[in-house]
Amino acid sequence: MQVWFAKFKADFKLNFIDSARWKWLMEGLGNTLKITFFSLLIGLVLGVVVAAVRSTYDKNKEVMAKHKGVGYYVFSVVNAICKLYLTVIRGTPVVVQLLIMYFIIFATSREDVLIATIAFGINSGAYVAEILRGGIMSIDNGQFEAGRSLGFNYVQTMFYIIIPQVFKSVLPTLCNEFIVLLKETSVAGYVGVMDLTKAGDLIRGRTFSAFMPLIAVALIYLVLVVVLTSLVGVLERRLRRSER
Amino acid sequence: MNDKIKQESVIRVCGLKKYYKGGVIKALDGVDAEIKRGEVVVVIGPSGSGKSTFLRSLNMLEIPSEGQIFVNGVDIVGKGVNINEHRQKMGMVFQHFNLFPHMTILKNMTVAPITLLKKSREEAEKKAMELLEVVGLADRANSYPSQLSGGQKQRIAIVRALCMEPDVMLFDEPTSALDPEMVGEVLDVMKRLAREGMTMIVVTHEMGFAREVADRVIFMDAGVIIEEGTPAEIFDTPKSERLQGFLAKVL
Repeated sequence: MQVWFAKFKADFKLNFIDSARWKWLMEGLGNTLKITFFSLLIGLVLGVVVAAVRSTYDKNKEVMAKHKGVGYYVFSVVNAICKLYLTVIRGTPVVVQLLIMYFIIFATSREDVLIATIAFGINSGAYVAEILRGGIMSIDNGQFEAGRSLGFNYVQTMFYIIIPQVFKSVLPTLCNEFIVLLKETSVAGYVGVMDLTKAGDLIRGRTFSAFMPLIAVALIYLVLVVVLTSLVGVLERRLRRSER
Repeated sequence: MNDKIKQESVIRVCGLKKYYKGGVIKALDGVDAEIKRGEVVVVIGPSGSGKSTFLRSLNMLEIPSEGQIFVNGVDIVGKGVNINEHRQKMGMVFQHFNLFPHMTILKNMTVAPITLLKKSREEAEKKAMELLEVVGLADRANSYPSQLSGGQKQRIAIVRALCMEPDVMLFDEPTSALDPEMVGEVLDVMKRLAREGMTMIVVTHEMGFAREVADRVIFMDAGVIIEEGTPAEIFDTPKSERLQGFLAKVL
């Protein structure tokens, strides 16, 4: 037992204390959180815009088709672009998207954290858009008609009547999407980003001892996810309560 | 009864057609109608006869394929019409109430007047409370829709529409989703509204209500108006075979 404990201690010292290797993990964690947070923002903005375009088009195409203004054709093209974006992003692996971003689109730049953030943001935007659109579509059309029949225009109906209801119903799903995003950023090491996973792997490469660094990395992810998940749970319960 | 009806027409419908799937389904196949100020018109007919489509066309919730709808002399189907302004003057009550579940009753009733008519909050709430008093639901002002019964919800839906001070009220089967014992309370509110001189167009299966309250009854089938007249003419001396057949089934 004592032998085992001494070995554990030595292992711990080798992997985390020597050459201040724990700092690598901290730096990696910092990058992971940075990438997650900013790609979350990009995803949210992209998602809201794409969901707005897609559902506005679906709800108004009958009216617009009747008048056949220039706006109708412009809107049709924008809608088609959004559809293409959703298909491509959701139809290809995020690692491939990341590699394309790094080695093709931003081939001249070495800002690896920034590029990873953009890649994950664009990826997340597609999923956020579909969550939001699903939320909008799940609201009974009668709500929409009631708003319009009172004289609200399309945007006002969305703002006062539909969005508050959508927000309530999709918030937990949205939060879960962000938890998934946190874990997905672990592939950022593919383009040389020193994220949490990469940091653990680097330590492993230096110390030739895999157990400590990799388990540490796993534990850090696990703690983050468990904490976030329980926050979502609290949020979910609170939302449900206000419904009565 | 008839001195409340003015000669001036509020709504005039000319050759209204509504096709689905490129003309395969003809929900409305040429409807002409005129509704005068203060008139209560009840539209009856078998399901799928186009009566709801007709009603919903009147505030453009259904976009007509052809035809014109004049409201106070303006063709609302035409280009360049601000449909939102017209809808403010046309209250609508739905079969499934469509109250806003995330707002209290009072908020349900005041959100549109405050936002669209630029009323002050106090003014809008005062008006709402008056109307709630009339329908006997003043004590529910701060409840949420999910806490009300069907009949209560529909009474709220009616007064929510009235908060916008409309010229015309459209009712799309307002009692069809209610338990039988709640139908009466909703019809009472509608009767009261009719007595006060509101112009009303009501799609319903309540033949008793039609006979008692309507100034004119319209019978529709297969997307056209088959017969129209006073309740006595429609119910006691139906001329067309289809109306006779329909009445034999529902009465």
